[in-house]
Amino acid sequence: MKKYLSIILLSLSINMIVSNVAFANEEVNVYSYRQPILINPFFEEFTNSTGIKVNVLHAKKGLLERLLAEGSDTPADLVLTVDIARLSQFVEEGVLMPIKSSVLTKNIPSYLRDSENRWFALSKRARIIAVSKDRVPNGAITKIEDLANSKWKGKICTRPGSHDYNRSLLASIIAAHGEAAAEDWAKGLVANLARKPEGNDRAQAKAIYEGVCDIALMNTYYFGKMKFNEKNPEQKDWAQSINLVFSNQQDRGNHINIAGGGVVKYSQNKANAIALLEFLTEPKAQELYSSMNYEYPVNPAMSLSAELKSWGEFKEDKLPIEKLAEFSAAAQKIIDRVGW
Amino acid sequence: MSTWNVWSVPVVIIALAIIAPVLAIFYSAFLGDTTLWPHLFSTVLPRYISNTLILMLGVGSLSLVFGVSTAWIITRYNFPGKVVLEWALLLPAAVPAYIVAYTYTDFFEYAGPVQGFLRDLFGWENSQDYWFPNIRSMGGAILVMSSVLYPYIYLMTRASFLSTSTSFFQTSSIYGRNTFLYVALPLARPGIIAGLALVLMEVISDFGTVDYFALETLTLGVFNVWLGMNSLSGASQISSVLFLIVVVLLTLEYLARRNQRFHEKSSGQNIMPEQEISTFSKVMCLISCLIPFTLGFLIPVIILLNFVLSGFAVINFNEILETTFASISLSFLAATLVMFISFLMIVVSSYKSNSFQKIIIFLASCGYAFPGTILAVGIVVFIGWLNKLIHFHASYFIGGFMVLMFAYTIRFLAVGNGAIRSGVTRIHPNLMDASRTMGVSFFHSLRRIIFPLVYINILVGGILVFVDILKELPITLLLRPFNFETLATYVYQYASDEMLEESSFAALIIVIAGLGPVIFLSYTIKNIGKKKQGNIV
Repeated sequence: MKKYLSIILLSLSINMIVSNVAFANEEVNVYSYRQPILINPFFEEFTNSTGIKVNVLHAKKGLLERLLAEGSDTPADLVLTVDIARLSQFVEEGVLMPIKSSVLTKNIPSYLRDSENRWFALSKRARIIAVSKDRVPNGAITKIEDLANSKWKGKICTRPGSHDYNRSLLASIIAAHGEAAAEDWAKGLVANLARKPEGNDRAQAKAIYEGVCDIALMNTYYFGKMKFNEKNPEQKDWAQSINLVFSNQQDRGNHINIAGGGVVKYSQNKANAIALLEFLTEPKAQELYSSMNYEYPVNPAMSLSAELKSWGEFKEDKLPIEKLAEFSAAAQKIIDRVGW
Repeated sequence: MSTWNVWSVPVVIIALAIIAPVLAIFYSAFLGDTTLWPHLFSTVLPRYISNTLILMLGVGSLSLVFGVSTAWIITRYNFPGKVVLEWALLLPAAVPAYIVAYTYTDFFEYAGPVQGFLRDLFGWENSQDYWFPNIRSMGGAILVMSSVLYPYIYLMTRASFLSTSTSFFQTSSIYGRNTFLYVALPLARPGIIAGLALVLMEVISDFGTVDYFALETLTLGVFNVWLGMNSLSGASQISSVLFLIVVVLLTLEYLARRNQRFHEKSSGQNIMPEQEISTFSKVMCLISCLIPFTLGFLIPVIILLNFVLSGFAVINFNEILETTFASISLSFLAATLVMFISFLMIVVSSYKSNSFQKIIIFLASCGYAFPGTILAVGIVVFIGWLNKLIHFHASYFIGGFMVLMFAYTIRFLAVGNGAIRSGVTRIHPNLMDASRTMGVSFFHSLRRIIFPLVYINILVGGILVFVDILKELPITLLLRPFNFETLATYVYQYASDEMLEESSFAALIIVIAGLGPVIFLSYTIKNIGKKKQGNIV
């Protein structure tokens, strides 16, 4: 009996393996840093309108190494990542190819794409300062630099410094003030922390709600996800307890980072890959970025959704986004030194 | 008889193939610049190293306490609930550590039920009114990891206790010595150490828990250097340090035990009779066994179940069914492969090899000590390099099931080897010698003598590997084909965004899928015990 069971299980397994290898005709293969639950609705739209099937592999680490090892044999056509520093690593290793596409150049402003057209931003995310509605008066904090002021000692919460989002924020401060000043800022920030950095951005809003701290760093889309969280209605209270402060509106503007992508150099389905990339910058997909995920569209033809507008229109830091990648390693070293 | 024979040559070749990706990691470590080290030394490294050592010490000790005490109690004493606890104690092995970390945070944090209850009880207003330990801390990590890792020790120790001959216990009673301290513990040492080694390697390679608890260990450092400073070679260097720590530990242990013998004259036909004890002792036994079971299984499962029942979970039956089937078949196939290779390796290493070959075989089981993602990168790099030598279309392999199988073998061979080695060391060499003098072939001796004697160890190892692969995340994530999800990767897409509630259903399925084999194993162990008892009557 046991023997038969094993044989059945074994043959079923082999069957599964064989059936998985079959692929459709028109297709595009994507290596994605975004998890399927977030990105699949975009792909479904794409398949519906073009008939091209999208195959996805989601992982957050090692995709670049896999691409490099596969070399010219790679099945991948398109890479989608979040965070510009990560995207730049693909460019630096030479696995992405330049794309000539009038659609992409029309839909994406130049500071949000590679000067050699190897990578393109698809959505923007703003890292803002979340402050307690009750305990931080309006206008008390206006600049990211304020967070280093000893006045806020024991009042600030953040996730660990070495997370992409914080590293990129620090890189933007290096770009604005230089390394030494950025390190002083980071030191001041760490001295003001209410607790050891832990959790994600959402956890910081919760900490404000619970009174652990008054000020936190947060990407705006977390606010939307909490505000409309029907599954976990308690998160609505967290969102209720904070105000969003877009920083540095009087000078360089609020720091932004991107989600983006590029076409793989050895792509076998280059035309389909470009079609998908273009599709993601068109109004339909751009609208999805804000309605599903509360991210900001890159396409200048798009107006902000009513919800995003209600959070406030703001001036963004127009630093060429690749500068962030350039200062990423220096930022990590500062983070190590100040123990953020 | 030459030691390069029809048995040892293929095994050494397999072992070398398994070591190759590890060498790729070392190669990338040496290749890279070492300019990061002064920075790392003067900033984070001391903290990383001390945190890692404290974590290893803490989890090692607590797992030993949980694992050895429960194994002894279950084997030796009779008390109510024993029949269930006997296998229930294994269940935490099926719960991924990071899931426990998530659920515990939810349970013990400010908004969770525990603190909420305390606030209601004492009328506290907010977090400033009282002190409560933070679960996201070193202590929390030690608790979480120990409560799911102790089954390694429990299982291997119990297998050792069960196969210890009663005559030893009788001898200790005659001399009025403590049976546990003077007989059971020393004789079970290979099993205990095998379990402990697995626990410690698991601690070193864990990323999910330390990341979630923001605990700055070497593993977290590996990823900060790799992704933050864009230095894979720096990351490989830190990983290699981790690897060396493990090799040094294992070697020390080997040296300490080299001159000792654990095999028995008789093959241990009779097992220890259960002891009758007072009611108070029975209650104590029950409590001791309930604690680790509650921590590692009951609490996390109840929390997950609560999420599911409150309708938080995303439940897509078709998707889950398909994913469950894929997970179970994959784990079953890979576990069979791993145990087959482990059996060959340990047998050849014990009976058919010289010391050089022994070292190669030993090194082949060290892949367990690398963070999973780094190992996966090592595999990818190795295959890419091979592809440059002989062009075989790497893409057919990377992202194929063969590479996934290969990767699981590298990763979990240590579990299989540990289980089988602790069985083989207990077989008296005379048995094999006698068999060979009768002119029986080595293969025949294996089949008739070794295999039946280590059958239970093969099962123990196989089931641990099965459950491990069911939970395995980083390797599967990076090396799987397009559009392919296992239960673990399915859970991850939610859990990585701290959307634990949404992932709770799939997480529960991982636990349930692990239940079957664990219960089957426990049933088999017991049956073997009964058969042995039947023999003496």
